[in-house]
Amino acid sequence: MAEHPLVERLLLYVEPGQDMARATGWALQAARFFGCRVFAASVLAPTPAGNSKDAEEQAWESLYEIEDDAFRQDTRVSLLLEQGDPLPRVLSLAANYAVELAVLSADTRLSTAELVRKITCPVVFVR
Amino acid sequence: MVKISELLPRSAILLRLSSREKFEVIRELVKPLLETGAVVSEEELISAILRRENMESTGIGQGVAIPHARTTSVERTVLAFARSDEGVDFSSLDGRPSHVIFLIAAPEAQKAEYIVTLARLSRLLRREEVRVGLGRAASPDEVIEIIRQYE
Repeated sequence: MAEHPLVERLLLYVEPGQDMARATGWALQAARFFGCRVFAASVLAPTPAGNSKDAEEQAWESLYEIEDDAFRQDTRVSLLLEQGDPLPRVLSLAANYAVELAVLSADTRLSTAELVRKITCPVVFVR
Repeated sequence: MVKISELLPRSAILLRLSSREKFEVIRELVKPLLETGAVVSEEELISAILRRENMESTGIGQGVAIPHARTTSVERTVLAFARSDEGVDFSSLDGRPSHVIFLIAAPEAQKAEYIVTLARLSRLLRREEVRVGLGRAASPDEVIEIIRQYE
């Protein structure tokens, strides 16, 4: 590994979608390549009735699946489950954890134009 | 359906930890699991849990840690619970010591049950009333009752 690696912290935004598995695979591969740490984050958007037990548990399951895969690939991963408006939360996570790369699935529900305009690091969309 | 309350033997509920150091705490939590017959090798289980802890913290914040492992040294999924008044440093992202600690030991082949158990426990422990209840519980029966109430 280089003395000052290009990427030390990578944010993987986890959400339901067809491309998520490929985005996760790509992020873990990139993490191994850079020798960096992954912050796998999911955001529960507020709903009028509040988040159901199922929605929250499903989000945790997705995160722990990623953790289990990462562990078996000797990749460091931290799990984050946030509540709120997803786009501002993702922007805030990227800034707060000072990530150098964000990885999202190409079929993300976030506004990609706004994300790319406001985020503090390069972004990869994986299809 | 996975029930946390059914995976947690009363004998593995420690209302006052004697250790304060993370690795000693894990040893203390694994001990009572040996009597349940679910754990084949104490050292292998501890080693699997420590390997994960050395890679990444299992402190999930808000004073909670969930050290865990899926390994061939476990025959069925089993949990242990401990409470620490002083708190244990699990290097949580929020920097706070852990006062409520659940250890999960699962068989290598039971990935789905392991993931569901982790997810369910994480959801439960995000609720403040659960954390407060576990912090105040005066007996193993009360701990089980609080979990039953919210799961």
